[in-house]
Amino acid sequence: MMKYVIAALTLGVAAGYLNNNFLNAIPNAVVSDQLFNLSLIALLFVFGLSFGLDKEAMDKMKKTGPKILAFPLFVVLGSLLGGLIGGLILSIDVTGAMAVSASCGWYTLSGPLIGQLFGTQFGTLGFAANFLRELLTITTIPLMVKVDKYAPVASGGATTMDTTLPVIMRYCGSDMLITAFSNGLILTLIAPFTIITIASFI
Amino acid sequence: MLNPITLLNLIIPLVAGILLGYLLRNRKRIKLDKASLAVIVILIFSLGFGIGSNNELLNAMPKVGFNALIISVITILFSIAFVMAGRRMVRA
Repeated sequence: MMKYVIAALTLGVAAGYLNNNFLNAIPNAVVSDQLFNLSLIALLFVFGLSFGLDKEAMDKMKKTGPKILAFPLFVVLGSLLGGLIGGLILSIDVTGAMAVSASCGWYTLSGPLIGQLFGTQFGTLGFAANFLRELLTITTIPLMVKVDKYAPVASGGATTMDTTLPVIMRYCGSDMLITAFSNGLILTLIAPFTIITIASFI
Repeated sequence: MLNPITLLNLIIPLVAGILLGYLLRNRKRIKLDKASLAVIVILIFSLGFGIGSNNELLNAMPKVGFNALIISVITILFSIAFVMAGRRMVRA
């Protein structure tokens, strides 16, 4: 599974780079938005189907119940402390660093929003750091799942409702569907508010 | 992503899939592995395509890549640690 993921990612990056800078064969958005959204919609349907078919997965899910709603809270708190410590280590503005990590992997949000609130430098850092969070999560899920079943969900943050979801499902099992999706959804909804709140402390 | 229409685009197929799966539960087993792997490959390819065609992102990496790597690794580690500790707290 992982070799297909790495191969698809590498080929995708190469194809995107060549198309954007040299070939201009198709508009970028056709692949990066339309094909992306279509395949995501198809996957969510298939994952939903396999979850619905799997009696064990639903039973496991019922056992954990609404407690999964607490996970995003732990992810935010862990991320904020990570940003604080990271900022201290790098001796950069800690509020900026915390805003960067509060994006929880959502790099298309953190670039513009943090740039606006904390200046271009932090916008660029937010963009890059959250992109790396997504990339590192996708590529290390097989390792993380050995540490803890929920580690990939924690690491993926806001991305566990879309880009990292398929790899999480493969390695953590279909009973993780609702946990991962709701985690990503809640983090996506609260990330802008966390960032704006941190900015009010500058 | 925050656009409510986009969110519905994700929630509707998910809920439809779960309901259909639930209704078909007692029919014969449906194998979804091969089909989903093909779609995963397409999804990851288009994710890569978005990265490769994003010059803003590619230009930022050499400049802030090191700091970004430090922040992202520490953030990931603390998120995992907090979720593991939190699970014990709520007994999930």
